Amino acid sequence: MLALSLARRELRTGVRGFRIVLACLALGVAAIAAVGSLRESLTQGLAAEGRRLLGGDLEIDTGGLAVPADLRAWLQARGARLSDLTQMRALLVAPSGERQLVELKAVDGAWPLVGTAGFTPTMDVGAALADGGVVAEPVVLDRLRLRPGDTIRLGTASLTLRAALTAEPDNVASPLLAPRAVIGLDSLARAGLDVPGAILRHAVRVELPAGASAVATMAALDAAFPGHGWRVRGPDAAAPGLNRVIAQTGQFMTLVGLTALLVGGIGVANGVRAWLAARARTLATLRCLGASTRLLLAMCLAQVMALAALGTAIGLAVGAALPWAMVRLFGDLLPVPPRMGVFAGPLLLAGGFGLLTAACFALPPLGRAARIPGAALFRDATIPADAQAGWGVLAATMVLALGLVGLTVLATPDRWLALWFCLGAIGALAVFRAGGWGLVRLARIWPRPARPWARLGLGNLHRPGAPAPLMLVSVGLGLSTLAGVAMIQGNLREQIVTQMPARAPSFFFIDIQGAQLPDFLALLARTQGVSEVKHVPNLRARIVAVNGVPAELVAATPETQWALRGDRGLTYAGAAPEGTRLTAGAWWAADYRGPPLVSFDGQLAEGWGVKLGDIIRVNVLGRDIDLKVANLRLVSWRSLGINFTMIASPGLLEQAPHTHIATVRADSASQGAVLRAVGDALPNVTGIRVEDALRAVAEVLDQLAVALTATGGITLIAGILVLAGAVAAGQARRVREAVLLKTLGASRAQIRAAWLTEFGALGLMAGVLAALVGTAAAWGVVRFVMHAEFTFLPGRLVLTLLAALALMLLSGYLGTAAALRAKAAPLLRNE
Amino acid sequence: MDVVPASQASRAAPSQQAAVSARHLRLTLPSTAGPVNILRGVDLEVAAGETVGIVGPSGSGKTSLLMLLAGLERASGGSVVVAGHDLAGKDEDALARIRRDHIGIVFQAFHLIPTMTALENVAIGMELAGVADAMARAEAGLRAVGLGHRLTHLPGQLSGGEQQRVALARALAPRPAVILADEPTGNLDQATGAMVIDLLFALTREAGATLLLVTHDPALAARCGRVVHLADGQVAA
Repeated sequence: MLALSLARRELRTGVRGFRIVLACLALGVAAIAAVGSLRESLTQGLAAEGRRLLGGDLEIDTGGLAVPADLRAWLQARGARLSDLTQMRALLVAPSGERQLVELKAVDGAWPLVGTAGFTPTMDVGAALADGGVVAEPVVLDRLRLRPGDTIRLGTASLTLRAALTAEPDNVASPLLAPRAVIGLDSLARAGLDVPGAILRHAVRVELPAGASAVATMAALDAAFPGHGWRVRGPDAAAPGLNRVIAQTGQFMTLVGLTALLVGGIGVANGVRAWLAARARTLATLRCLGASTRLLLAMCLAQVMALAALGTAIGLAVGAALPWAMVRLFGDLLPVPPRMGVFAGPLLLAGGFGLLTAACFALPPLGRAARIPGAALFRDATIPADAQAGWGVLAATMVLALGLVGLTVLATPDRWLALWFCLGAIGALAVFRAGGWGLVRLARIWPRPARPWARLGLGNLHRPGAPAPLMLVSVGLGLSTLAGVAMIQGNLREQIVTQMPARAPSFFFIDIQGAQLPDFLALLARTQGVSEVKHVPNLRARIVAVNGVPAELVAATPETQWALRGDRGLTYAGAAPEGTRLTAGAWWAADYRGPPLVSFDGQLAEGWGVKLGDIIRVNVLGRDIDLKVANLRLVSWRSLGINFTMIASPGLLEQAPHTHIATVRADSASQGAVLRAVGDALPNVTGIRVEDALRAVAEVLDQLAVALTATGGITLIAGILVLAGAVAAGQARRVREAVLLKTLGASRAQIRAAWLTEFGALGLMAGVLAALVGTAAAWGVVRFVMHAEFTFLPGRLVLTLLAALALMLLSGYLGTAAALRAKAAPLLRNE
Repeated sequence: MDVVPASQASRAAPSQQAAVSARHLRLTLPSTAGPVNILRGVDLEVAAGETVGIVGPSGSGKTSLLMLLAGLERASGGSVVVAGHDLAGKDEDALARIRRDHIGIVFQAFHLIPTMTALENVAIGMELAGVADAMARAEAGLRAVGLGHRLTHLPGQLSGGEQQRVALARALAPRPAVILADEPTGNLDQATGAMVIDLLFALTREAGATLLLVTHDPALAARCGRVVHLADGQVAA
């Protein structure tokens, strides 16, 4: 009670020395609270819009198979309203001959079951799609220079463009590779695209009668059609991919925000240290009057935590409000309309992080200050440099640090990532601390420069109480974060924009009928500029079970779960395809005709726990087939060649209706002609230009990178705040030094040059260390989180180095300019 | 370089060129209660090699006069010539050069740079002036004041008397023509103060420098060749 009372009296003097501490905490807490609130608002928005996004109460996806009549009858018997649709990729051909790949959605007259589609010019769905009508996103109209009323070709059908599609209720703004076009199901039939083995998806959307439960209906459906193999989704799983993207992006942004808070923690430690130094006389006086170490510690801790609570509260208020501003400014970029609100969960988490960080970083300096001897009052009234916090304080600090790690791990879906982050953060702090120590040592042993200002600048780096180590740590984490984000972004861009196109074919051609294959190959042989054509049979298969365990129950690692969802490509081959690298087992004889065998992706096998001899049950065109694993292969997806997770032995599958898929390499000048020639001769064959697809992916990545860079920028702002605090704390000393040097005959240019030498060396060291730490972090993320190859990009690091130099030199210049303006006389008059 | 003709600079000692010359020197500083006249037309001529004690009650303008003579404060009126250099109209850097080459200053509060060793504190001014053997001269200066064993100590590790001796070495090592000392014993006990003053006079005499010593102590002032009394911002006698 006495401690609280004393703390309250002390706090009456205000928060003057604590402004940087407040700002550091508020910034870090605001970043975490804002990211958490935005993530929550998007998740809730997704949940609230689930029915609209799903396009009904249920969606039953039957893959490449048409929706069975008995399923339709079963649903109708329950009073459900149904809407059929088929989705695939296809090429629209304008009268000019120009082509545009689209995500094609063929719907019936009931579409959309939920929500309203919007068109320009305004019309209803029936009018838009009747009699061969087609609508497409405005970007399609722009690229093909089309206007309503124009005739466009789709497969073998001539359709009429009726309008631009301006609102599609069941479209999640996901990163589609191509813009959307919508036609009627009758038009799809006329286009000749729905052929056996074509890569498409049939589904039926279901609107249940009032009072019927989606969950109960799903359970009843499973009971009525055991082992059906369809993908049934309710509104809570309207956009599982998007949910994953939101969760993963949010996770990364939270960790980057946490880095900002850790930088703020350093600011807290510095600020508390400076604040205590200014109160050393008060503490020594209280000690003389009989205050115990425990009382002094409790009094100071109460004050710091009261102010930390204020900083955290400010951060929470800003963090809760920021999503509103972000939605207002960047709402168009968000994948779903967010449901705005004040969310207790993310705010409590951010508040917990704020208070834990403040306590963890403030305790050690508080522990040291509380041990000030009363005798200090009669000497220089400073906290002794060799004062050490007691064991109790050190133990409490350790517990708080572990609490911070624990909260980070709990708050991050990927626990290992969180642990690595914590280790990385501790490692980065250690690197910058060691770097500071190294810089001081280096400055001390560096040969004496000839120029006096250089000697003075170098001396400033290693003199007692030199702020060099503090400043390095202050900006180090922020710069490292930005360097890491830039390196990760650069690596992904490098892969997608530079490396992949160099290895990848120019085109994928899909849905080539067996009968069309000779014509297709002959046509390409005649076409100039084509250098390579590869083709394989292609079937669509859904994995039903692995060793008798249903696909949805297979204990797969997170990074291999994708292959258990939806249709997979399946091919067959007698001999091992060229370049095959087996990691286990052996290939079958070229004329093998026994029970079906399969060559399986080795990485998936590892993720699913599949071994040689295991059975993978697949459903091909409604029929379950057991494939015995004969060998495991290394599949390089990044090559963008024809890759299949499963290659079956020939025989049984040869008899199933299927299409062929081909890759074509052509020089850039001939690519338009290749696409036109194939499209004109074989209208149902869809050509996908790899370059266009990669560009679309790169654009999505750029948007993500902007979000991560912005969050990383907050870390740097926190670092700049801490740096400003460190410069401000030493400013009185610098002013005094400047005055004395001027008194001793130093010119302003000499003083400026000395300090710029000091800050230049600091900037150089900060830049080099940030580049190293950022590269190491990026390497870890690219290699182990994204499972991609890491490319060292020196250009990005030069930017980091320049940023560090500029930052340090600017802060040095500003500090110097202020010091040089100071008048000598007031400081030199007798004290 | 503004060198004042000898005919204008000599008044107190017409036979020699004046080391320090102040004419009609005025200093008015702003304050919340209105402008305060610190100095009201001070005239002072000090010959080269002369020692002058400046005495007067608190607030009489002694320290302000020293600041003006050192070019650390700008006069509101009148002129100051030190070692032949007119300080009027000079920018900060030019004033710093004049101090570096001609003036040594000793303060009551020592004003050493706390993060530099004793040796570095003494050498820094000479280093800035580009003196080749700055360190050697600094070391010799420290030995001259009896601190040869304290070269690598920081000011915080020295006693008050030792700190003032370092300041003395710093002021004298560059061999300036003029030494300005502002209450150099004000922060020291009597015995230490006496030792520092003995050193100050001995070293000044040895260097042939001009000394202006601000002090409250009449006995100390009496050791100077001449005593100037300031009262209410004017030379009283």
